[in-house]
Amino acid sequence: MIVDYFRRGVVAGVATGLAYGLYLVFVGNPLSEYLHEAQHDHGHDHGHGHSHDHGHAVSETTTAIVSAGSGVLWAILLGGLFATALYFLEPALPGTDAVGPYVLAAAGFVTVSGVPWLVLPPAAPGAEQLYTIEARLGIYVALVGLGAVVSAAAIGGYRRTASRSRLLGVTVGAVPLLATAIVLPLVAPSIVTHPDLPGDLVAAYQALAVLTQAGIWFGLAFTVDRLRGRDRRRTATDRTRAGHSNVA
Amino acid sequence: MATETVSDRIALARADLSIPEAAAGLAFGAAIAFTLVFLQEPLAHDAMHNFRHAAGITCH
Repeated sequence: MIVDYFRRGVVAGVATGLAYGLYLVFVGNPLSEYLHEAQHDHGHDHGHGHSHDHGHAVSETTTAIVSAGSGVLWAILLGGLFATALYFLEPALPGTDAVGPYVLAAAGFVTVSGVPWLVLPPAAPGAEQLYTIEARLGIYVALVGLGAVVSAAAIGGYRRTASRSRLLGVTVGAVPLLATAIVLPLVAPSIVTHPDLPGDLVAAYQALAVLTQAGIWFGLAFTVDRLRGRDRRRTATDRTRAGHSNVA
Repeated sequence: MATETVSDRIALARADLSIPEAAAGLAFGAAIAFTLVFLQEPLAHDAMHNFRHAAGITCH
């Protein structure tokens, strides 16, 4: 059974990944290259060194192709993780089993992207970083752990109270999420800054990252749910057929 | 089915999968995660540069 879940997760990852790969080809790559170029000019005008001098070890074409491919692989990785987690955690998720995948996908987004972004927001090319990459990767891993705890607390809170009233359940479930979203940015130092880019542009770039990552998780939940429906219908028809042939 | 618990699922997975199979799956996932998120080798890093920025993955 776990193998069926995993297979559906990987298929969902491929389908979602192809869509995300196209997004990278048509939006992610050109936009990142543009921001990169824009700051090269800007940086030279003002004569201050920027952190992006190493952006030329490979050609733009290579970067474009590998980046799009990485996008596909990323969705496949998330799809596999998502489906495996769904297999184990499904009994603990609220709602019917058509709702479960969406709840888990939301938790996945909060864990992998949402909570880490409260401290380490998506950086546009040319961002200036307060800490070294090793420190930031360490912080990222710790925040993924925190994200998992917050998601579990939200789902657990909903499950424990929703039997009394759904509104109470939603309120209790929202408390850990809201508390994290409000407190974490206040206590964390601003690690990522964009001195050479207009604020609106950075906001748009970050909004795209949020929307597309949320889109990946939605795509995974949607596809996994659909594939399971198809698998069930298939097993059902097989059974009916087998039954008829036995009678005949 | 309705009363199934998380530990039932774990028990079922243990019966369905051998340890090498589970280890192979984990190793595969870890390899992809490492390549996409943690690998800082300059050639690989630069090639994945746009993806890491666009996906909001911590980078350089």
